[in-house]
Amino acid sequence: MSTELNHEQFMRYSRHLLMDDIGELGQQKLSEARVLIVGLGGLGCPVALYLAAAGVGQLTLCDPDRVELSNLQRQILYRESDCDEYKVVCAERELRALNPHIRVNSYADEISDVLMDGYDIVVDCTDNLAARQLMNARCVADKIGFVSASALGWEGQLIAFDFAAHANLCLNCIVDKDSPEPMQNCSNSGVVGPVLGAMGSLQATTVMRMLLGFFQQHGEMQRYDGKAGRWLALAASARRDCAVCGEVA
Amino acid sequence: MINLLFFGRLGDFAKDVPSTIEASTPAEIRELLAVEFPDLGKALHQPQVLVSVNKMIVDWDQPLFDGSEVAFLPPVTGG
Repeated sequence: MSTELNHEQFMRYSRHLLMDDIGELGQQKLSEARVLIVGLGGLGCPVALYLAAAGVGQLTLCDPDRVELSNLQRQILYRESDCDEYKVVCAERELRALNPHIRVNSYADEISDVLMDGYDIVVDCTDNLAARQLMNARCVADKIGFVSASALGWEGQLIAFDFAAHANLCLNCIVDKDSPEPMQNCSNSGVVGPVLGAMGSLQATTVMRMLLGFFQQHGEMQRYDGKAGRWLALAASARRDCAVCGEVA
Repeated sequence: MINLLFFGRLGDFAKDVPSTIEASTPAEIRELLAVEFPDLGKALHQPQVLVSVNKMIVDWDQPLFDGSEVAFLPPVTGG
């Protein structure tokens, strides 16, 4: 994307350009950003759609899975005819159709260290602690943003870290990397689609806040109980003995 | 007295639990509740259950003071 907006882009992003705290300068920041989205399921779909629509200049998608019929209740990038195709291939096609002015790359693969070079923010939309901890450690090392969310049943959770501004307090300070995985997951316990949509939208908003310089809640956890209709914000503190960001790391 | 909050699906196990309790740590609360409410006790012993005191995520041995609000949060891992 060029550094100056053309007429079509002025029209496309006009609702951003009307806002004093985004404007043309903010839109330029979005267009220069490189964001990695890991997991293209119920969270990754709304994250990718909103960031592509917002004009984030480079989106990279990573997910090894293929579309299944049981995904379609909540994974809003896919249609029935996509079944058995790689999610990232379908997602890339939809995002390019939505916004041809951005660059979209994809990997039909598990996240690994070699796929994490050169991003401003990593967005965790996965469903397991091992992948989350891998991303967390790399974001700490690279001093970049990390926006992690998850959902189960009626519940959602978001926690975000701005490691460009804060060296301490990371995901491992809150959930130890050696913790066993909980018995319940979306495959065996179910999940409500719009709860994933709410958390994915919040992740996309958080990415935009970081890119535009508004993010202040390093390590704050947001919890959403969709059944009760209530939110809870929780603070956390850094562990001096954290194996990832602590003094001994 | 310590004020109790069970977030999300933990609330389904805690419908008959009093809203306050006397205890010195979250771990002690968990053990006291497990005696009278074994299903809740089992849920609180799952991996990755978080506990907060006055909206700060803490360790299970965090000392509690009169009037503290202790919230228990079940793990949320899907995506």
